[in-house]
Amino acid sequence: MRFGRRPFLGLVAASSLSGCARIATSLTENSHVRALLDAPERLDLALLGAGQPLAQEYRKSDVSPVFRHNGFDPPSSAQYQNWVEDGWRGFTLRVDGLVERPASYDMTALRKKFIRRSQITRHDCVEGWSVIGKWSGVLVADLMADAGIKPLAGYVVFHCMDDDGEGTQYYESLSVRQALHPQALLAYELNDRPVPPQNGAPLRLKVPTQLGYKSAKHVNHIELVATLGGRLGRGGYWEDRNYEWYAGI
Amino acid sequence: MHDVSTARTRVYRHPLPVRLTHWMAALALGVLAMSGMQIFNAHPALYASDASTFDHPLMRFGADLAPDGEMVGYVTIGSLRMNTTGVFGYGPDGMGGQAERAFPSWLTIPAYQDLADGRRWHIFFAWVLVICAAVYAVWALRLRPTRRDLRELPQALRTHLIPWRVPQTAELNPLQKLTYFAVVFVVAPVVVISGLALSPAMDAHFHWLPQMFGGRQFARIWHFAGMIALMAFFAVHVLMVTTTGLVNNLRSMLSGWFVVRKGGHVS
Repeated sequence: MRFGRRPFLGLVAASSLSGCARIATSLTENSHVRALLDAPERLDLALLGAGQPLAQEYRKSDVSPVFRHNGFDPPSSAQYQNWVEDGWRGFTLRVDGLVERPASYDMTALRKKFIRRSQITRHDCVEGWSVIGKWSGVLVADLMADAGIKPLAGYVVFHCMDDDGEGTQYYESLSVRQALHPQALLAYELNDRPVPPQNGAPLRLKVPTQLGYKSAKHVNHIELVATLGGRLGRGGYWEDRNYEWYAGI
Repeated sequence: MHDVSTARTRVYRHPLPVRLTHWMAALALGVLAMSGMQIFNAHPALYASDASTFDHPLMRFGADLAPDGEMVGYVTIGSLRMNTTGVFGYGPDGMGGQAERAFPSWLTIPAYQDLADGRRWHIFFAWVLVICAAVYAVWALRLRPTRRDLRELPQALRTHLIPWRVPQTAELNPLQKLTYFAVVFVVAPVVVISGLALSPAMDAHFHWLPQMFGGRQFARIWHFAGMIALMAFFAVHVLMVTTTGLVNNLRSMLSGWFVVRKGGHVS
């Protein structure tokens, strides 16, 4: 009876692990299982999205030496390159959709018309790493006040200038309530310098209460809509790839 | 010949809520460990700080191209570097090939590399574990070690040196009580709370949460170390269950009934 017990147990352990991995992998393909696995997101949003708490702000000395970015290329269009070289002359941010006063702002208007807000906050990437940076720019709430949110508007969609290299444009969305958070910032500066291309030039959304992928880069169009879905998919490029729309966890 | 009814006593050891939450928690822990390794694969490095110090990881999994053209997987802890090709750093990718990945496909859920799916499994079963652990904890309060348990601990430790000779008693022995108590009230809370400290929304609600672990990245170390501690417990737990009367132990956790033999030993 004792013969070969140890190798046998080792084999059982290894094959049951790989069996678990295989079963879970095939379950992931099942739409009912997927719906079940997606269920906690609503609970998390209800619990954690209830208040508007402020993310911790840091001292200047806490700022990370390099603000890491993922290996995506900045927009490759000739237009974007021209803007980079030309100091964003001719670039405009458009705000439209369910707003009282659709508007366009160039970089000078954004700097002159709105109060400059700064925050030194931690950026938590969904991959697991964190960096601390100082972001300065316009509060999304101030932009919304200028454009006037129509009562039917439910979501604020941030359209980006870059695509994934296969023709799919990046975009992100926040609920109106999340967009009005006092730290939701449309940043034009990182660490007191214009936002570099790899970190989202010229305008990058910064939402320090959620994971990094919500902080859309290269924003040139803000659109207010009643609901997501349809053309807007699940509310973001990463959401369309099964990442949570509510990225508070 | 001896009278069976006096030689063997049946005791009702585990009430239904304990049995249910035990198996649910076991399932949840397994899925959490494996989906956690999937998540870890997205950035297989740990830093002893709040923000990542990319040049100075405490621990890192990676892969390099060796001069002979072969891929080499490695794990570094501080300045120590271990070659782990085939298992850690470089190993099976779950699609029939080999790839640069911290944990191999047979240790992750899903087997293929997908952070989004791994997170879905992890967060779902985190809720399952927390709910089970909360129910289980009410019962586990009874495991609070008494002064007598602590006095008998050295003796219990000695008897555990030979696992299959551990006397089977109606009551849990002091070492069992202490271990289960520590797992439920020390290790599991550290794992759960350090996991919550990784959430940017939780951190906004409670600034002290990541700070109590030494920062958000440090909380990842606690989360990882807690997982290792739970796996170590699991290994010893399975060893003890197997060697001290597998059938009797399994039956007690399935039906509740545990058989104690006179003399205390299970032959």
